[in-house]
Amino acid sequence: MNELIPIMVIVPLMAALLISAFSKFNKATKIFAFVVAICLPIIPLASNYGLHYFGGYAPILDNVTNVMYHPAITYSFTFLQQIFIAIVGLLTFLVVFVYLTKYKKVSGPYLFLLFLGTAAVTAMILTDDIFHMFVFFEILALAQVGIVAASSIDYSYEMALKYMILGSIGSPIMLLGIGFLLALTGSVNVTDIATAVHNGLVDITSPVFLMSLALIFFGWLYASGLPPFHTIKSGVYSKAEPHGAALLQSFTVISMISIVLIMFRIFSTLPIFEVLIVFFSILAMILGVSLALTQTDFRRMIGFLAVGELGFIGLGIGLGTTFSLTAGLFQALNEILITALLFIGFGAIVEATNEVDTRKLGGLLAYHPKVSIMLLIGGMAMAGVPPLNGFQSKLMLVQASLNCGYPELSILAIMVSIATFVVFVKTFYTMFLKPKPKDLELENKEVPRSMIFTMGVLLIIIILLGIFPDVVTTGISNFVGGIL
Amino acid sequence: MKLYDQIFDVVKQFKKLFSPGPVTNADVSGSITAEIFIIVSLVLSAILLRHVNVLLAALVTLILAVVLISNIPLIPKFKKEQDDSLEKMLFYAIVTLAIIVVFMYWGGNLV
Repeated sequence: MNELIPIMVIVPLMAALLISAFSKFNKATKIFAFVVAICLPIIPLASNYGLHYFGGYAPILDNVTNVMYHPAITYSFTFLQQIFIAIVGLLTFLVVFVYLTKYKKVSGPYLFLLFLGTAAVTAMILTDDIFHMFVFFEILALAQVGIVAASSIDYSYEMALKYMILGSIGSPIMLLGIGFLLALTGSVNVTDIATAVHNGLVDITSPVFLMSLALIFFGWLYASGLPPFHTIKSGVYSKAEPHGAALLQSFTVISMISIVLIMFRIFSTLPIFEVLIVFFSILAMILGVSLALTQTDFRRMIGFLAVGELGFIGLGIGLGTTFSLTAGLFQALNEILITALLFIGFGAIVEATNEVDTRKLGGLLAYHPKVSIMLLIGGMAMAGVPPLNGFQSKLMLVQASLNCGYPELSILAIMVSIATFVVFVKTFYTMFLKPKPKDLELENKEVPRSMIFTMGVLLIIIILLGIFPDVVTTGISNFVGGIL
Repeated sequence: MKLYDQIFDVVKQFKKLFSPGPVTNADVSGSITAEIFIIVSLVLSAILLRHVNVLLAALVTLILAVVLISNIPLIPKFKKEQDDSLEKMLFYAIVTLAIIVVFMYWGGNLV
């Protein structure tokens, strides 16, 4: 059933276009969006692993050099793609569900952007073509800008515009790097480029090859929200609707791992590649968590924490061993789930209180006990408290850096986890445990049930992955073994 | 005594960090945690230079520790540099691009 592989991209893409075109039929749009959203996590689970060649152009074997060339845009579908596409599909379903239950009259363009973003990240993680990846990276960037601009939060337009302006630096720079690679190898297929590099057909010390790494790496920093783009990324999260922010962060994580895995396959022969990744990951962890500690806007705080957590993913990938890469990718999966839970949970508090400043909140445990408890567990998962999934991936990362001979990185990872825990203790106390301020109006304001349902689903997965991490790590480890 | 005064002054300076609005105990303790965290983590990261040269690592770590501690409070400075100003974001993006390109072009095959 390899025909299902392109369907994973086509379904959300077509749904986006149809919803946008027929959005004036409100009820039909709602039903259609709901049905498509349900299908999104099911399709990857029903599909078999394999390759899909667009246009049916199968690889060609060069009998002289005995090298295989890939003329078609190729989609590769393995366990890694399956798990990430299924999770982002599930998250899209939950986000669409929250959105549809929140508004009586839905916005066609907003749903269009949600589905377009999902289609773009799905294509990015499936593709084996670096230019194809770039095209969807651009589509994703526009969808992200749209999701932020379409939210009804103050200054969201301004933040979206800033993100777009910074993108106008990051994206062309990445395209230039891809152009350099094309000039060197004559191909945009990642397998072909990697084969050329590893077989010595490309001089890896040539300035053009090194510059292509530098330029693509800079584009990756923009896509991932690692420093110097951590401020805008956290700002974008804080100015989106809570359910939109939950989806946006999953887009960021998947685009981060999609691009870095492509870079890893091409540039891993250069030791400086891993040095660069580790350097920026450390910077992201330090800046993300230290700035989160000083925030009074809890949406911004989660935004900075999400950026800090990206550093853990980068750390795992930068260490470059099978175990560390598995840990990094497992951490990516965990971060998608945990951060989505936190964004939706804190979003529920905004719904109930219309307040984002922690100093003006208090005593919410008595009014919203379910949300409070689920947020507490989510925060503990992010800080790496056992037996939750964050603990499993962070423990793996600590072990990986010890195995690689970098105890400093292990200590740093533990320190960042402790600081993350401090952020949650502080925020939880301020919002839920301290006495309620007199001027805070809470009566007759309920948290939407759809949000509680969404948090419950995410929490169950978080706990299950914490107790049974092997369900995911074994498959990821097999995938990593294949690319190393 | 001078260092004690300096640390005491840090707490007073955190007031500006949270203005306008009240400054709570939780905010100040969070900021002190961030202050200590940023110093310790940067010094710890500098120790990684031992993989290049042990003497260099020792020197950089010592200098970094002295510079960071003598410049406390760091967090207001960090926060000021990382606000939502587009000019600062663009500045740091371009500086980073320049550093990466220079580092790769002249030092890419040395590591």
